[in-house]
Amino acid sequence: QHGRVKIKSTAQQEEEKRKEREKKLKVYVAARDACFSKRKEGIMDDEALQLTQQLLSSNPDFATLWNYRREILMHMETVKDEDQVQKIYETELSFLESCLKVNPKSYGSWHQRGWVSARLPRPDWARELSLCDRCLSLDDRNFHCWDYRRMVVKMSGVPVDQELGFTDRLIGSNFSNYSSWHYRSTLLPLLHPESPEPPSPSREPPRSSPPPSPPTQSHRVCEEQLLKEYELVQNAFFTDPNDQSAWFYYRWLLGRAEREEMISCVYVSREVERVAVACSRPVNAQSVGLLLVLDGQPQRVEWRSVHPQLKHSPVWICDLPPGTISDVVNEHNLTVHWTEKHTHRDCALYTGRSESWCRDSATDQELFRSELSVEKTSVLQSELQSCNQLQELEPLNKWCLLTIILLMRALDPLGYEKETLAHFRTLKEVDSMRSAYYSDLCSRFMIENTILKMEYAEVRVFSISDKNLTTLCHLDQLLLVTHINVSCNQLQQLPPHFAMLQCLEVLEADNNSIEDLEGLHHLPKLEEVLLKNNKISTLADLQPLASCPKLKRLDLRGNPVAGTANLEVELAQLLPSVMHLLL
Amino acid sequence: MAEEESQSEEFEQIDFLRDRHVRFFQRTLQVLPERYASLETTRLTIIFFALSGLDVLDALDVVDRNVMIEWIYSLQVLPTEEQSNLSRCGFRGSSHIGIPYSTKGPGVLHPYDSGHVAMTYTGLCSLLILGDDLSRVNKQACLAGLRALQLEDGSFYAVPEGSENDIRFIYCAASICYMLDDWSGMDIQKAIEYIRGSLSYDSGFGQGAGRESHGGWTYCAIASLCLMGRLEEALSRQELDRIRRWCIMRQQTGFHGRPNKPVDTCYSFWVGATLELLDVFQYTNFDKNRSFILSTQDRLVGGFSKWPDSHPDPLHAYLGLCGLSLIGEPSLRKVHAALNITQRAFQHLQQLQQTWRDSTVSCSRQH
Repeated sequence: QHGRVKIKSTAQQEEEKRKEREKKLKVYVAARDACFSKRKEGIMDDEALQLTQQLLSSNPDFATLWNYRREILMHMETVKDEDQVQKIYETELSFLESCLKVNPKSYGSWHQRGWVSARLPRPDWARELSLCDRCLSLDDRNFHCWDYRRMVVKMSGVPVDQELGFTDRLIGSNFSNYSSWHYRSTLLPLLHPESPEPPSPSREPPRSSPPPSPPTQSHRVCEEQLLKEYELVQNAFFTDPNDQSAWFYYRWLLGRAEREEMISCVYVSREVERVAVACSRPVNAQSVGLLLVLDGQPQRVEWRSVHPQLKHSPVWICDLPPGTISDVVNEHNLTVHWTEKHTHRDCALYTGRSESWCRDSATDQELFRSELSVEKTSVLQSELQSCNQLQELEPLNKWCLLTIILLMRALDPLGYEKETLAHFRTLKEVDSMRSAYYSDLCSRFMIENTILKMEYAEVRVFSISDKNLTTLCHLDQLLLVTHINVSCNQLQQLPPHFAMLQCLEVLEADNNSIEDLEGLHHLPKLEEVLLKNNKISTLADLQPLASCPKLKRLDLRGNPVAGTANLEVELAQLLPSVMHLLL
Repeated sequence: MAEEESQSEEFEQIDFLRDRHVRFFQRTLQVLPERYASLETTRLTIIFFALSGLDVLDALDVVDRNVMIEWIYSLQVLPTEEQSNLSRCGFRGSSHIGIPYSTKGPGVLHPYDSGHVAMTYTGLCSLLILGDDLSRVNKQACLAGLRALQLEDGSFYAVPEGSENDIRFIYCAASICYMLDDWSGMDIQKAIEYIRGSLSYDSGFGQGAGRESHGGWTYCAIASLCLMGRLEEALSRQELDRIRRWCIMRQQTGFHGRPNKPVDTCYSFWVGATLELLDVFQYTNFDKNRSFILSTQDRLVGGFSKWPDSHPDPLHAYLGLCGLSLIGEPSLRKVHAALNITQRAFQHLQQLQQTWRDSTVSCSRQH
């Protein structure tokens, strides 16, 4: 249903139109009935072609008729010689051209043309490409035409570099040609593929098992060609910085293939006799084959999610049979296998130690740089320089600001923190419609930087207060954290994902708007919970705390629930381990 | 909080003409203008727009439910006596082939009569909206008809005789399986592979591999994965973040479907619902979105058009309402973002599915 502009008309014009419509309708019904009775009798002749042609001219989306037409044409192939067949199909192509002139976006017409081109004894590919050129000159965003062109190119064996030249010409004459940039993105990796990366040490040789999720646009481009493309794209966005085509293409060029999946952390506690595993993506432990081996013996354990609501989670835990590792005198070696991805992680629990872990930190994995390429720093630096130059000329351009932020996070997230925050402030003014999204993005980056700082300091304390946070993320990176301070923010809940903080001992969350403590679910080491000035309103809201066996100190001052009658008595029953209660 | 208050003040200024829209859909259900003749073969989808639109407006009382339900059942392609046509079962778009009217089996064999995947999808939705219990739907036949449409690469044809194949029909198939609570109608893994293969360099989804990203196909991809319950399995967190970014950038005032194209009312739903399914719809600008949708409202005949000063049509009228529903327009029912029916109709479906499960349990107990 394509847009039709309103035009006024007189009563007489209306009446004339009505008469014409009635006539058309009679003709349509007669033709349709004639068509079907012919088909019923199995007649496949020229008259049948004529009848279907009449109908399809006015209704090119009558799929059944195209099918009948194809049957007729296929039948004719069997009873006529090659020259006759060629002529019939050429006539069909002319007919289709007239259909496409009327409706250049008809699925039925394009599909038929593709079908004919594949069957024509002597196809004229140059003619087909010329049809595409004409169609695209009228509407360069007609994806039916682009798709058809791709098919023609494939079937006729047009070399990729020729098509690349075609996109060069289109882009050269008009940088703002999103469809051309798109087409280029599919051609480039074919012509200049990246050589595959060497395998990493933790990856086992693949056995014959079902392949992992197939890659998407992971077709990467070799470095030499990349540098040339950067130049092309820079010309584009310097010429017209407001056109998003070049910026999205640039983003893709700078982008990186997906990180390999791995177990990023294994944690084991003698005290609780529990193993916690963090995977690089949310999984379902049962279906991906998570396996625990202890001192060379595979263990029969039940993996469970940290919270019943999380069926898919990066973090999974299991309990070991009592007495297995509790004796502090014994050393133990654990291995967790992620069988679906053929990867594993070892963790040694030494004598005299009550806990142990083995991880690739976020810093090691360059987790928060994963947006951009493993390109040489020098390349990224020079790209950042170009973008900064543009930014001076076009200070209000949002694409430029976003790209600069991206490049800075790729080069040095902590080093560029101040500039990044400043750019976000500008971005929120310049593109105020999306300011809520940018705020969320900025919060995410601040959390990432806090994680990096924590890792750099080699401590297990995560502190991010007074940063206007409305949500928390990357909680799977906080598996080892013992102290967390998120006070003075705008959090409304501690969601189920919060239960990934399996080592948590102290929670400081004063001065937020927290109503919901679902995430404080069976946290085995949690001793102190500070929730002053939040929005906990009922006793039921405090229920999750009952699942934390070590809870000793609780501060509920400044919460609506503090006014509940008999609260102290109720809490004494609900939370018997709590010794220090502040209301 | 302050932002919400000033938004609700501005809500008052542009008025939403509920009654006109009700009458627009009523007319859609009665007679369509001649220029819609080309849509005859897909008439059931237009009925769906009208019915679901009236449901969103909480105005289904203007519909004669029983008449509608009977008409929809007359479009079901049922198995013949010999069950020779199972791979062609489903629902048709209308009576244009000329099969004699009948709401019960056995089916009549006709060389060109077959279900169309989008008609089966909208047919089932329409029955649910009208409160029907789907007891006259031959579920096994529908699923057999669906299986016959899936190709090796995971995509679907629309009809068994063949047609173009792409991600739109995967969405229809996933919705059908979801509603019938039976995923034997499709090979989920293959469909997921096709969907992943359609993810483009800019992190939007095309109709298929190598094709240009588009708001409508992105909706089909994400909604299908959500209905299958496989969103986080099929796409990594980084991919999901990039998809969110591509979608959020589609808002100009309302939304467009592709970069450098004009905004169009229907994308307030296609892209809006995708953002909702990805948990970031709250970060869009509701005020500008609403203003644009209402600028395409036809104040005389009701309905919405794709652009201001164009003729309204049932598709844009329906999706315009859904777009408004997503941003919480007070007088509209909430819409289920993945299935594209009201939450009310969805709850009816859930109750139905519970009775189906209960009766399977009690059946197996008896044996």
